[in-house]
Amino acid sequence: MGNIKISDVSMQWSNVLEMVYESRIDSVGLNERVNSLATRSIKKDSKLEALNMIVTMCDLTTLEGEDTEGKISQMVAKAIKPNPLDTSVPSVAAVCVYPSLVTIAKEKVQNSNVKVAAVSSYFPSGQVPMESKLLDTKYAIDSGADEIDIVINRKAFLEGDYRKVYDEIVALKEVCQDVHLKTILEVGDLKTYENIRKASLISLAAGSDFIKTSTGKLSIGSSRQACYVMLKSVLDFESLTGVKAGIKVAGGIRDAKDAIRYLVMINEEMGSDWLNPELFRFGASSLLDDVLKQIKKLKTGAYQAGYYFPRG
Amino acid sequence: MIDIKKTYKNYVDGKYVRSESGKTYTKELKNEFYELPLTSRKDVRDTVTSSKSGFNKWNGLTPYTRMQILYRLSEMIEGNKESYIELLVSHGISKQKANKDIELAIENIIWFAGLADKWEQLAGNLNPVSEEYFNISHQNPIGVVFSLSSSTVSLNDLLLSLLPPLTVGCSVISYSEESSVLALKFAEDINNSDFPPGSLNILTGNFENILDDVSKHVEINLVALHREIENNGLKRIQENASSSVKRVVSLPSISGLSSILPYLETKTVWHPKGT
Repeated sequence: MGNIKISDVSMQWSNVLEMVYESRIDSVGLNERVNSLATRSIKKDSKLEALNMIVTMCDLTTLEGEDTEGKISQMVAKAIKPNPLDTSVPSVAAVCVYPSLVTIAKEKVQNSNVKVAAVSSYFPSGQVPMESKLLDTKYAIDSGADEIDIVINRKAFLEGDYRKVYDEIVALKEVCQDVHLKTILEVGDLKTYENIRKASLISLAAGSDFIKTSTGKLSIGSSRQACYVMLKSVLDFESLTGVKAGIKVAGGIRDAKDAIRYLVMINEEMGSDWLNPELFRFGASSLLDDVLKQIKKLKTGAYQAGYYFPRG
Repeated sequence: MIDIKKTYKNYVDGKYVRSESGKTYTKELKNEFYELPLTSRKDVRDTVTSSKSGFNKWNGLTPYTRMQILYRLSEMIEGNKESYIELLVSHGISKQKANKDIELAIENIIWFAGLADKWEQLAGNLNPVSEEYFNISHQNPIGVVFSLSSSTVSLNDLLLSLLPPLTVGCSVISYSEESSVLALKFAEDINNSDFPPGSLNILTGNFENILDDVSKHVEINLVALHREIENNGLKRIQENASSSVKRVVSLPSISGLSSILPYLETKTVWHPKGT
């Protein structure tokens, strides 16, 4: 059991536990609903608006061992001006990097409204002692990160030690204070919809500002079904506590069409309040390229080639 | 015996696919009706995505491997010769002419297969310069080629619209109207010859429907037209192509070394002579 004072957090553990054990999901109905939402057709003007919105919701991400200062500055340049030849394309929401690169990224985003997010708590596995996770997170925040993406303790979760999962997030939220905390559930590891719902509720109750689908390091990334389970959890949590939490989908969303389907789902199920970078984000590296191509396609009528857009 | 009819589908990325629009058009041959996919603009878009990655795969092979795959294609056609002749005959072509057409097609494949590892020596050059440098014209395949096949019904003509770009390492989107049944039958032999997915995609339909999308698509590097285009169409294609500096060749040569030249891009390399 953790040594966190329960009174500091927004929900009592007993209430959390009650919600978690009540998680039941009708997967047939869920799949049907998600698939029916995917068939909506979006007409030209709305599509352009949706594409621009997706750009403002992107967390442009590079999380590789090969990341260097040069690569970060290239990516930040792209984040600020995704298409240098079309200034009507807005900046992205944030760049997402490893803690050791936060200082560099922070320096490069100066004079823009692009935020710097750092993955911490030993992303992507999180398989280290709690002290290390706290240290990792502190380091990222001290370096100037505006947002922190952490991973839940899947080991503890899959062993059924939900309290440990919760306590760790509470402790990390305490380190973060006002810095935005996004908690990655890694839905590919959780396997079932019930598990995704449980992990969502635990993360929300522990004070996460956002819940996020995936690290992007597994072959199973985000899915609209997983996002649906998460958005229902966010809505249920809001009706209980009044707190509006955000959702970030990441991993495997490569084309604009798929991204628009997420927007449709968010709009239909949560309302247009959530169509806002403060409450909905895409973790993306290749998605942005396709969105830029589609924006230009809409404006010129010609299908585009990737090599006319900046790398990053 | 039950007469089993074949469902003809486009051949894209190594798979047989229906048009995403679900539309087909009918072709009547000897009182038999063939339903063929009517390619839509979205099919073109998906096909180009496949051809782009197909280009990297096909061009990434060694010329020797490309040669073997082309040779394999001739073997497959040889094996299915009778069924090709039957199909040509049902188009109203005499058996003798059909036989000749298939034989010529096979011969041409073997000729181009042989060229696959030799064209660079023939088309490239060491240029004379009056300084202590080598100046080399190095030839590269241009990339994704869209090839509108001729209006004749002939396997040989169809092949001569594909072989030159394939030989140099380009990926090809072959589009057939008149010879569409033949082209989709030919796709089966492509599938059995170890071509990497996307290196050769076969579409059928009405070219007029997709003319603008093809000629404007930035990722298509060259449009080769093996038939005349009516109603000022060529001018429209050229104008559309200019925005992406796409090459357009109308009725290009299909014989000998000159047939491959439109599909090449020259890179000039300067290298100091070691003295």
